[in-house]
Amino acid sequence: MAVQELELKPSVPSSPLVGFWKVFSRNRMAVVGLVMLVALVIVAGFADAIAPYDPKSYAGIQSSDIYNRPSAAHWFGTDDAGKDVFSSFMFGARNSLIVGFFAAFISIFIGGTIGVVAGYFGGRIENFLMRFTDMMLVIPDLPLIVVFVSLTKPSLWNIILVIGLLGWTTTARIVRSQTLAVKSRKFVLRARAIGAGNRHIIINHILPLVMPILVVNAILVISLAILSESTLAFLGLSDPLAISWGQMLNFAFGRGAMSVGAWWALVVPGFGIVWVVLGLTLLGNGLEQVLNPRLESHHLMPGKTTLRKEAGFHQLRKPLRDSPVVLDVQNLSINYVSDDKPPARAVENVSFRLHEGELMGLVGESGCGKTTLMMSLTRLLGSSGQIVNGGVIFNNMDLATVTEEELASIRWNGISIVFQGAMNALNPVRTVGDQIGEAIKKHLPIETEKLVEERVVELLELVGIAAHNKDRYPHQYSGGMRQRAMIAMALACAPQVVIADEPTTALDVMIQAQILELLNELRKKLGLAIIFVTHDLGVVAEMCDSVLVMYGGVTAEYADVDTIYNSPRHPYTQELLKAFPDLSNPEKRLTSIPGYPPKLDALPPGCRFAPRCPLAFERCSEETPDLHELGNGHVASCHLVEGS
Amino acid sequence: MSHYRYLLRKIGWSAFTIVFVILLNFFLFRILPGDPARSLTKDPRMKQDAVEALRVRFGLDKPIINCFDSFTPVRIGSCSVNPLETQFFIYVKNLFQGEFGISYKTNRPVSDILVERLWNTILLIGAGQILSIIIGVVFGVFAAWKARTSIDYGALLTGLMAWSLPTFWLGIILLFWGSNNGLPIGGKSTPGASTYPLLFQIGDIAEHMLLPTLTYTIVFMGEYMLVMRSSLMDVLSEDYILTAKAKGLSTFQILKDHALKNAMLPIVTIIAINLGFTVAGAIQIESVFSWPGLGGAIFEAVESRDYPLLQGTFLLIAISVVLANLIADLTYSYLDPRVQSE
Repeated sequence: MAVQELELKPSVPSSPLVGFWKVFSRNRMAVVGLVMLVALVIVAGFADAIAPYDPKSYAGIQSSDIYNRPSAAHWFGTDDAGKDVFSSFMFGARNSLIVGFFAAFISIFIGGTIGVVAGYFGGRIENFLMRFTDMMLVIPDLPLIVVFVSLTKPSLWNIILVIGLLGWTTTARIVRSQTLAVKSRKFVLRARAIGAGNRHIIINHILPLVMPILVVNAILVISLAILSESTLAFLGLSDPLAISWGQMLNFAFGRGAMSVGAWWALVVPGFGIVWVVLGLTLLGNGLEQVLNPRLESHHLMPGKTTLRKEAGFHQLRKPLRDSPVVLDVQNLSINYVSDDKPPARAVENVSFRLHEGELMGLVGESGCGKTTLMMSLTRLLGSSGQIVNGGVIFNNMDLATVTEEELASIRWNGISIVFQGAMNALNPVRTVGDQIGEAIKKHLPIETEKLVEERVVELLELVGIAAHNKDRYPHQYSGGMRQRAMIAMALACAPQVVIADEPTTALDVMIQAQILELLNELRKKLGLAIIFVTHDLGVVAEMCDSVLVMYGGVTAEYADVDTIYNSPRHPYTQELLKAFPDLSNPEKRLTSIPGYPPKLDALPPGCRFAPRCPLAFERCSEETPDLHELGNGHVASCHLVEGS
Repeated sequence: MSHYRYLLRKIGWSAFTIVFVILLNFFLFRILPGDPARSLTKDPRMKQDAVEALRVRFGLDKPIINCFDSFTPVRIGSCSVNPLETQFFIYVKNLFQGEFGISYKTNRPVSDILVERLWNTILLIGAGQILSIIIGVVFGVFAAWKARTSIDYGALLTGLMAWSLPTFWLGIILLFWGSNNGLPIGGKSTPGASTYPLLFQIGDIAEHMLLPTLTYTIVFMGEYMLVMRSSLMDVLSEDYILTAKAKGLSTFQILKDHALKNAMLPIVTIIAINLGFTVAGAIQIESVFSWPGLGGAIFEAVESRDYPLLQGTFLLIAISVVLANLIADLTYSYLDPRVQSE
């Protein structure tokens, strides 16, 4: 319960405003936008005091003052009526801002109300409101606004009203989806369970969480309202008594500024519009990044180049099996690096050897670096993961340092992966057969489509999927079928090594058993070497030949399966085994290991397991244990096994 | 099966929206203050019988809808109006016959004016959209692919700047620049060009289209670029891209075969949602460049208070946008196999 409480609190430091400002002030875009807006608001607010001329008065204007070039007297020249462009610009700023803010206020109010009501109450109300919103969204805004305004008097308040009344549709949609998301959060359900009224829940629980999105949206709506107003004014639909930038442009454009070359009368008002809209856009974009930070990285960003330390390789002296080695991982270390944080040591000095036909279990709690280690084998770590030591020897090549082109020919062809959660691992808009065929075409010298198709059918049948399913899409498959299809795809090029990264999580027990059975069978039939990443020690005991136990990014223990189960030496392995039921001894009490694995950016000094280790003594929290050889390829990293 | 139901539902909603637009269009022009007849008959120099004749000519003498007075939406005590004689019935009947009324200003049937101008607008919007989509998508792809490099930041900033430009102002600036550099200052063709050989005419129109299309492209390119970038960023961080990479596909193959189709899906939606803005852009660009299209028609109708023309143009634009949205929806359902089974 306590953990869930923590999770529900928004991740804002002690004082939300101070914390917000800290993040905000680091976002250059948002700050520039804010400064641009504040400057304009000051100019608009103090226009009476700053403006050198009164744009409403014609006193002292002569016909020779029309379209004068910029000069000391008129910084931005004069317009078609001989008035100072700079002064009109300042007063225009005021009206543009007034229209923008008030119209946006109306839109946000209507859209916000509709969105919250629709999202919160759901059912018919939602259906009706959202249908209406969709309908209004489709009807083009500007022509409708033009029709409205030209049928009524184009006074400032009419324009505000019309723009405001027609500009709420996107707000309604955004607020609705946010309300839907918030509605099902635990504290809202709890508030409802203890009998809080709708009004109370909406005001106290929903609104505070909808507000940030509403603010970002409001900024966009303001800029759209300002653009609408200036467009209307440019089309001649503006309050004759209220100077605005659009109106200035309408006059200049319609009254010969073009033909006399008076660029200043055209450039200056437009510059105002660009300034305010750009300011708002930057602020809105920046705010969104602050409120909803997205990880700006993806799988195609170039990975970090491998670093290699001088230190000698730690070689495992004795192999676990006799058959030839297909994959030799030596002292592999991986860091996650980022610009503003010290590197996280995700994997350190891990070595193992995989032989032909061997099934190796890789076990450990979540966050122990298992997936990181597996992804690093064919360098799929993404832009922040970096191999900082060691090597991955496959077919006499070190995959940690070969070129991307060489690597591309080894990926899938030599080492393939069965990903966890095959729903997302398959492309939703391409058929399963197509995706399997793609791998075949990439790596195998099969030329005709027909042969590729035959091979796809063969593979699908191998994993127990009927041939007619090859032209179906992933979403038309069941969870178990998708995982089988994933396995079929992994086998497409007859690789030497298959990495199965928790291939059965999220599947029900019967399907799990089938998938595992299938993998084991295929291994025997095809002579594959498989690395099987899992939490399930029961499965490991049943199927695997060797086991690598990882803890906090390091090897805890590595040995053949009998040694691991019958005489584990590392306390972590021992504790893990106590946490799993043993069929031969059903009376055994299960115990769990208290605490959590260490965070990789805050590793404890000394042994990484020390804080949770029941056998820890002083030395453990001071000195990192070496990997000790225990004979027959059995290794463990613990001070307790030293010298034995 | 479910796909047909999806299609039917979409088509049904579009039809409903069109009915709504027709109703809105009819009543807006009759209920809002400053209605057409009044502005028409406001001229004090007009004689009473001339006013009556005009009202008859434009059908304004008939009751708006059964049992309602012509101009106030108030029910008359005892009503004996033939529903077939009401303005609403005649309006709907005429719409079905493709008649949109008669322009106050030019005295020509609005439908004739609209047909003439529709093609010009389609020409302009078509050219502008195609260019802005191509350029926007290409730059968006580069920005996402090269995320967090200077290419990306440059593209992002350019996109935001382009988005912030008021369309009509950009048009004015380009026109100002173009007119000083020998480009035509507006219209669709040089007067009298129709007597010249065909090739010359095409060149002439292209020359006239250059600046409007450029304006259009710059304004819309920014948004397509931003949408494409964020959409592709999302797709490229999906698990199936990692699968594709693990399969040994090259970056180019991954982009082409796994990322682009998926990332283009939001673009299809954006094109549809943007149609409203597209039309707004067309109104501004056509006004600036005196392009004889529908947007220009709105501008002229507003200037001369030509309500039948305004009404007809609005109706045509609104219905086109609704239909274009429908097409986009259907395209989406074709591109994304998941939609059909929802």
